[in-house]
Amino acid sequence: MNLNTTYSEQELVFLLQQRNEKAFSYLYDNYSGALYGIVNAVVTDRETANDVLQNVFVNIWRKIESYDPSKGRLFTWMLNIARNAAIDEVRSKGHNNSLKNVALPENNEIAGAVTGPAMDDVGLRKVLGKLKGELRILVDMSYFQGFTHEEISKALDIPLGTVKTRIRSALIQLRTMIQ
Amino acid sequence: MNIQKYISSGIVESYVLGLASDEERREFEKACEQYSEVLQARIAFETVLEKQAMENAIAPPADLKAKIFDQISEPGRVIPMQTVPVRKISWLKYAVAACVILLAGSLYMNITLSNENRKLKGNYDLTLAELDEVKKDIRILQENPNVKMASMKGMEVSPASYATVYWDTASHDVYLLANNLPVPASDKQYQLWALLDGQPIDLGMLDYNLKQKKLLVRMKNARNAHAFAITLEKKDRPNPSVPGGDMYVMGGL
Repeated sequence: MNLNTTYSEQELVFLLQQRNEKAFSYLYDNYSGALYGIVNAVVTDRETANDVLQNVFVNIWRKIESYDPSKGRLFTWMLNIARNAAIDEVRSKGHNNSLKNVALPENNEIAGAVTGPAMDDVGLRKVLGKLKGELRILVDMSYFQGFTHEEISKALDIPLGTVKTRIRSALIQLRTMIQ
Repeated sequence: MNIQKYISSGIVESYVLGLASDEERREFEKACEQYSEVLQARIAFETVLEKQAMENAIAPPADLKAKIFDQISEPGRVIPMQTVPVRKISWLKYAVAACVILLAGSLYMNITLSNENRKLKGNYDLTLAELDEVKKDIRILQENPNVKMASMKGMEVSPASYATVYWDTASHDVYLLANNLPVPASDKQYQLWALLDGQPIDLGMLDYNLKQKKLLVRMKNARNAHAFAITLEKKDRPNPSVPGGDMYVMGGL
């Protein structure tokens, strides 16, 4: 038996859909750290992050049939499952995440504080820190806290169209930063 | 559409990060099908994002993997049972053993039907009804001293799978108890085989829906057999008397 088996993405997906536990083990060994990273960028405490990551992998195992390779890479699919699960967890616990509690940013310093409870030095969040104040808040609210553009528009009293274009431009900046 | 402008509008990032609206998503997916540049841009950003996430990986606690594997393999657990030559065990032992298997099957069905407490009552009633069925089935088997049993254990493709064959050596009737077989894809079905001197003999297809309702399913008669096995086969395949698919379970008498 070869313990150092590596799989192509196609093989991995095929085997996972066959409920192959060895492939799932490989998936875990290779991607749990990256997904744990994104979960920790959203969730405050490690205990909760552990529970979320556990649910994420159980959901990956159970929902692998619904993964459609034509719509994106396997990792993208898993990353979105992880992000959504973490946001849902934070919201269900009412982690003072209601929009009422999001102070309207008066200046960039305060605004930085609004961006949130989770670790600022982790992964994408670290990159996020390099964005200018308002763009940073917009990306944080939409990507890490899961607010819709409409909700953000209302909360920050910025026109919906402006929210959209600013988030887009923030994402383009983010991209150049991580490249 | 100005493709370059579209690609650099931020839609690629927005889509991949899961921030695009439903309408934007549909439009983007269409664009990916139509324009390879859009698809390439998507893949390029996905790759960058994955690399970034990998570089910022945080090792989860060491015991988490085991917890996850426990959770995903839970429904597959069946009470293990020894295979004992049927001739040697008394009828009381046999009946108890059959009860254990049938109960395990029944409980397993319950567990998979729902984990939610509010449904437990419904499940309880169902269990009683199933138990009545089981009792009836067991009586049929109990009253017949010629019945032999084969416990079929999961093969490599599905180690958690488990099924039992009851074979009446006098009448040649064969009953199948699918203790634990994964739900087959819609274009596939399970097929039972008797093995005689290594040669498979078709004993018929298992209707998975019927299996949900009835624990013991009557299959084709077998005149002689050394062992039994179940394979997962494509529906309506040209030569159904020859096994072609993966073997899920097998067991001797």
